[in-house]
Amino acid sequence: MSNGLRLIIIPTDYPNVVALYIVVHAGSRNEVEPGKSGFAHLFEHMMFRGTRNFPPEKYEAVLKSAGASSNAYTTDDYTAYHTTFSKEDLETILALEADRFQNLEYSPDVFRTEALAVLGEYNKNSSDPANKLEEVLRDTAFDRHTYKHTTMGFLKDILDMPNQFDYSRLFFERYYRPEFTTMILAGDVDPAHARSLVEKHWGNWKRGSFRPEIPSEPPANGPRSNRINWSSPTLPWIVVSFRGPAYSDEEPDHAALDLIAYLGFSESSELYRKLVIREQRVDILEAENLRRVDPYLFNVWSRVKKEADVAAVQKEILATLEAFREKPVDEQRLERVKKHLRYRFALSLEDSEAVVATVARFVALRRTPETINRLFELYEKITPATIQAVARKYFTEQGRTIVTLTGGRSQ
Amino acid sequence: MRFCVPMTLLLTAALEAQPQLLTLAGRSPLISIRVVFLTGTASDPVGKEGVASLTAAMLAQGGSRHMSYQEILDALFPMAVSVNFQVDKEMTVFHANTHLDNLDEFYKIFRGMLLEPGWRQEDLNRLRDDAINFLRVSLRGNNDEELGKEVLYNLIYSGHPYGHHNAGVVSALQKLRLEDLQEFYRRNYTRSNLIIGLAGGYPADFAERVRKDFAQLPADPPPAVKLPEPPPIRGRHVTLIEKDTRAVACSIGFPIAVRRGHPDYPALLVAQSWFGQHRMSGGRLFQRMRELRGLNYGDYAYIEYFPRGMFQFEPDPNLARRQQIFQIWIRPVEPDTAHFALRLAMYELDRLIRLGLTREEFERTRQFLSKYVNLLTRTKTAELGYAIDSRFYGIPDYNTYIKQALARLTVDDVNRAIRKHLRTTDLHIVLVAKNCEALRSRLLADEPSPITYNAPKPAEILEEDKIVAAWKLNLKPENVRIIPVEKIFE
Repeated sequence: MSNGLRLIIIPTDYPNVVALYIVVHAGSRNEVEPGKSGFAHLFEHMMFRGTRNFPPEKYEAVLKSAGASSNAYTTDDYTAYHTTFSKEDLETILALEADRFQNLEYSPDVFRTEALAVLGEYNKNSSDPANKLEEVLRDTAFDRHTYKHTTMGFLKDILDMPNQFDYSRLFFERYYRPEFTTMILAGDVDPAHARSLVEKHWGNWKRGSFRPEIPSEPPANGPRSNRINWSSPTLPWIVVSFRGPAYSDEEPDHAALDLIAYLGFSESSELYRKLVIREQRVDILEAENLRRVDPYLFNVWSRVKKEADVAAVQKEILATLEAFREKPVDEQRLERVKKHLRYRFALSLEDSEAVVATVARFVALRRTPETINRLFELYEKITPATIQAVARKYFTEQGRTIVTLTGGRSQ
Repeated sequence: MRFCVPMTLLLTAALEAQPQLLTLAGRSPLISIRVVFLTGTASDPVGKEGVASLTAAMLAQGGSRHMSYQEILDALFPMAVSVNFQVDKEMTVFHANTHLDNLDEFYKIFRGMLLEPGWRQEDLNRLRDDAINFLRVSLRGNNDEELGKEVLYNLIYSGHPYGHHNAGVVSALQKLRLEDLQEFYRRNYTRSNLIIGLAGGYPADFAERVRKDFAQLPADPPPAVKLPEPPPIRGRHVTLIEKDTRAVACSIGFPIAVRRGHPDYPALLVAQSWFGQHRMSGGRLFQRMRELRGLNYGDYAYIEYFPRGMFQFEPDPNLARRQQIFQIWIRPVEPDTAHFALRLAMYELDRLIRLGLTREEFERTRQFLSKYVNLLTRTKTAELGYAIDSRFYGIPDYNTYIKQALARLTVDDVNRAIRKHLRTTDLHIVLVAKNCEALRSRLLADEPSPITYNAPKPAEILEEDKIVAAWKLNLKPENVRIIPVEKIFE
């Protein structure tokens, strides 16, 4: 649209229901000032604190009348607001959402209270060691880039949030603008009608002028490692991580690492067969190659049944990664992974909400669903030689970070 | 309290001795299959708690007679299909989604897994480890909220077939042998207690093929599980779970005679939705505890079992039970405010019973639910799951049942149902916390527990806080006990 807002409409065959995602291209990656980690997420909370026309009670009442299911989440790169509702309420919901994106208003008192709900969220997450592991991994692996902190943020910053009212208004002024926003509508919708409604309610939203400068990460100078002592009993965890590339639907690196994750560590991999099924020394083994706007990490996570086995499991994971550098993978195995990815994607689209949720994750990276097609075309082009070249490029000592977590009294 | 038993289904099935088939044929290339056996952990023999779950795990995550588990994983991998399972008190479900391209190949494997299990010792060893690690580490160690909820159920159903966690009891799991699982399979996996659901654009002869295959299972229905009434609760019982943890998780509950099909179910559903609709910000508890006071991340209420609520917005189907509880879930609060938060939840429950809903609150909630119900069944697999549950409860399809009942409902019906079924006494409270001795002393002393805020609050709230802070819990020392976390589920 002329103000920079992008609208994507996906009519589906699933009847009656419409799913709306509003993606704001600002997440914890945009938290560039020191002491402000976790702010994009706090802001997501504030977006439910109402406007002059629709104070929270009235906002809730409208959603409730529409039988809508509404929520939001924040990631490193973006914040997504999603609502699923019956098709007859399309205009009501679009008008309601347009109002809060343009006219959000809350008092300092309400802000201070909401900051406590964020602390509550940290608290409810705090009993899971996997969250702590991620926090320490990022902090260890990154020096300058804002991926150094999790989306939740550092606890010290969360505790200081109630004092940051002014910054919260600045955050809204900067990022809650049409040029930072992509809207996706999927389900039982008529595209022409939906477009006219969006123009009616969102057409007057004014562009902003802010251009974020995200600090870039200096070249890797590892290897690095860290260790967490968890105060209560747990099984030990290990994460073996390498600095990786940013998401791309043009360059093969990130896509090749997707394939490596499945080749090396999925349920049909040799290592899974050995550690989980045959030797039964590990109960969780998975690789993660998250799609991020800027270069992020390729991680292999494992939960080990006995503390004495942690070093051996680490060695096995490293040897598996090293093997990708040493020799090309089997062509047939590679084809099986590509087939898996195609069916996995198709099976994930089981209703309008799933369709829009999937599209939103990609749109957050490139502002167009076309990137999905380009990525799958890229997968097809990847050969065993590409895999080997990418492994050699990224699985290096300099790029490596290993973090282990052990419990007070591991069982 | 009386619980009527949904025997119609079991009897009909037994007479016909055929698997029941439920189909939602369509054009989609995504095919959903749900195979539900009306058996579950309420059938675990005493001393063998965990056998129902481990048996199902052996089928879904172990080898079949002709294929090892690794061979199954390898074969399913290119299709991106996984066989999921869930075991609850009275239902065991295996479900999967596959693309039509792979239906034939997938189904051959799936049929082998369910009808010709491999019963390998190495699978049992791995899955037993998983079950024990789930209880000790994932639940007891890493998820205080779910821990509190599950302990609440165990306490309410103490000495009852529902009285242990679905995954089992560690000491019993450690002793289970392959023969125990085989025995459980033989007695409980029959064609008489089986409902198969299929959805999507499967070929015309597929449903009949599935029915015939599963008709090979034995005809004799499993022994009926008699459910006594849950043990009576006198007074308020508090169980403090001692654990090294940052915050305090809290669950409150008591049994109710209401389940789907009960005349008061729709009324109580409205009450529950208004009071604490799961993961939505409009509920009364959420508004008063989180929005106004910033006590925590959320506060909700339930009239049906809803596990894994911290990970999902809608409940999974096929958790149908003959007996349910009313439950309040208070997400972790800072230790300093735990006493106040508990009192506030009790105060709000008391207020709900005293005042009920206004006509406007009722109308809005009714309107919400009559539309929201569409969202619960928006995937084919969920629609199948709800349809199977409806057969269990002997009701029409869930959406029709709810919409028709809501249309007839009045605010008076709701408020009468609230007064009849809800209460603030004779209940269990579970708190997962650190320094439980000190907390126990505070709870027993019953002194006011005032709260302070980081921002000014309206006078109305401050006035209400005075009442809440002094709200008497009237706990008896013998009803407030501390359990070290290491003792749970052992």
